[in-house]
Amino acid sequence: MRKMLASLVSHVFSGVNQKPAMRGLLASLNFSNDTTCDITKCDLYRLEEGPPTSTVLTREEALKYYRAMQVIRRMELKADQMYKQKFIRGFCHLCDGQEACSVGLEAGIRPSDHIITSYRAHGLCYTRGLPVRSILAELTGRRGGCAKGKGGSMHMYAKNFYGGNGIVGAQVPLGAGVAFACTYLGNTEICLTVYGDGAANQGQVAEAYNLSALWKLPCSLSSERIATTQWARLSREQQPNTDYHKRGNFIPGRKANGMDILCVREATKFAAHYCRSGKGPILLELQTYRYHGHSKSDPGISYRTREEVQSMRSKSDPIMLLQERRRNSNRSNVEEWKEIDADGKKEIEEAAQFATTDPEPALEELANYSCTTKKK
Amino acid sequence: MNLFQSITSALDNSLAKDPTAVIFGEDVAFGGVFRCTVGLRDKYGKDRVFNTPLCEQGIVGFGIGIAVTGATAIAEIQFADYIFPAFDQIVNEAAKYRYRSGDLFNCGSLTIRAPWGCVGHGALYHSQSPEAFFAHCPGIKVVIPRSPFQAKGLLLSCIEDKNPCIFFEPKILYRAAVEQVPVEPYKIPLSQAEVIQEGSDVTLVAWGTQVHVIREVASMAREKLGVSCEIIDLRTIVPWDVDTVCKSVVKTGRLLISHEAPLTGGFASEISSTVQEECFLNLEAPISRVCGYDTPFPHIFEPFYIPDKWKCYDALRKMINY
Repeated sequence: MRKMLASLVSHVFSGVNQKPAMRGLLASLNFSNDTTCDITKCDLYRLEEGPPTSTVLTREEALKYYRAMQVIRRMELKADQMYKQKFIRGFCHLCDGQEACSVGLEAGIRPSDHIITSYRAHGLCYTRGLPVRSILAELTGRRGGCAKGKGGSMHMYAKNFYGGNGIVGAQVPLGAGVAFACTYLGNTEICLTVYGDGAANQGQVAEAYNLSALWKLPCSLSSERIATTQWARLSREQQPNTDYHKRGNFIPGRKANGMDILCVREATKFAAHYCRSGKGPILLELQTYRYHGHSKSDPGISYRTREEVQSMRSKSDPIMLLQERRRNSNRSNVEEWKEIDADGKKEIEEAAQFATTDPEPALEELANYSCTTKKK
Repeated sequence: MNLFQSITSALDNSLAKDPTAVIFGEDVAFGGVFRCTVGLRDKYGKDRVFNTPLCEQGIVGFGIGIAVTGATAIAEIQFADYIFPAFDQIVNEAAKYRYRSGDLFNCGSLTIRAPWGCVGHGALYHSQSPEAFFAHCPGIKVVIPRSPFQAKGLLLSCIEDKNPCIFFEPKILYRAAVEQVPVEPYKIPLSQAEVIQEGSDVTLVAWGTQVHVIREVASMAREKLGVSCEIIDLRTIVPWDVDTVCKSVVKTGRLLISHEAPLTGGFASEISSTVQEECFLNLEAPISRVCGYDTPFPHIFEPFYIPDKWKCYDALRKMINY
């Protein structure tokens, strides 16, 4: 389409006299390739106004988000395959279906901001800058892994990314601490503290809310609501109040559609701005969905039906929703998507190859890094 | 029955006999992540077998409350690695209730069950053996079975014992260990170690999964060194059966203790200390402890970390040749 337009334009300008009608047509054509998108209004709690209900999605952003989400999707599916082939053992918590959350959260903050999350971390590992090969090599326990092969699926770290934490809810007070350090050091950084439905019931999460509010910490507490806690359906049996964005009581919050990357991005930008302005913590609830079970030992259909999972895939898939936005505004270029798909596939294959051929850490590493004798 | 089925059987017997008994924990309603509570909710109702939210501190605190009123509380912590948020409740509340109230109140009808120990791929947070942390706390009992038959009898004893008990179940044995287990209830006494094989040259002490490892080591020792080993399963970690172990060491003169938990501060150190006090003049060699290393439980390094039969055999050989 663009090539056609370009040839039309050059054809027109090659003429000696521009015809007025053609000039008018040219003026009305928007070559910026940006899309203005409507996003669903967030439910608000203790907030006068929320994130905007429309935003601009540039072509570059669309392609960047698409690539990131596709890579995460493929990486998770590759991890699933490698687990079944027994290259990966132990625990593996996949986040396919939740790509809009990791990519959207990252899009709403700066690289100098901080993130801490639970064990379902592979997506955020990638958006925080870890190459796919180091993530997959960590899953297979090789020395090229981001934690030198010593952590595995649940323990991956990067600059300004504090993991990757195994114990449910344990990361939340840590996140409050990181946020405290941001204030203490006088920078304008914030900490995105991400957790899930199950963690919302941990006592230490309530303690973290209290501390953040007390000391006005720039902590954006983001819960990824997948409506299941490990192996059980989220229900009144788990908690009387399933509105996570209201659980902070005195902390304002909002609930966003976690399957729509633009919704996540705008809600995160709003939260980041709120925190940076010194107003204290804010809660963000992202309604999202994971296609796989809790871990590799959970088929994921004992507490939900296959039809439900299928329905989410066909109606709310985050990658599909992004593509639809571009298609609906005639900005979509199928060739570009395909190129990204091929490129992403290649990246994953290379990473998988590395992850299965890199050697395991040396035995001497067993006791390394328990304690250190380095002087500060 | 395998181990998880023997646990289900014990729980079934308890709920049938004791109308005040309730089972609760994360995901127990559908049967539990290790299938230990399968069928119980259907049989006894959702008032008696129910899920809790994800809150270990809350689960144990809540269990203490139930037990204090006299009802029987059987709490499940999904993995022993997750027991630490509940540590304060166990150590400061459950263990001290009877003492601080001058016996006016107690939470003796509380039993906490948790899957325990290495499983081959558990890594840092699905493999821990935290019995030593609780051994340091007077007022509670800690019990670890080695097999399905032992598990059912010991669990029923824990449930009926008038003191709060922690029952650690070796998760690697849930499906792997199978033996004949009576369907009717029976009890195995607590604080009684079992001599499962008599011998004359060296005493080997372990609990849980490790008992099977030292059994193999004993065969290796008999074959290759002509050494006769006496094998003791400690069963109850605290209060432990000092008499049985000391009686054995007086006979053999040599003691090897083995556990997966890290060496420093592990329960082997307590046994070693007491035995050297009681049996000093009988010892032919220093007491040997073959345990996990002082590191977090590793992911990829697990086969090197665990005190396998070769490490135990090597230590035994050194003791024999001392």
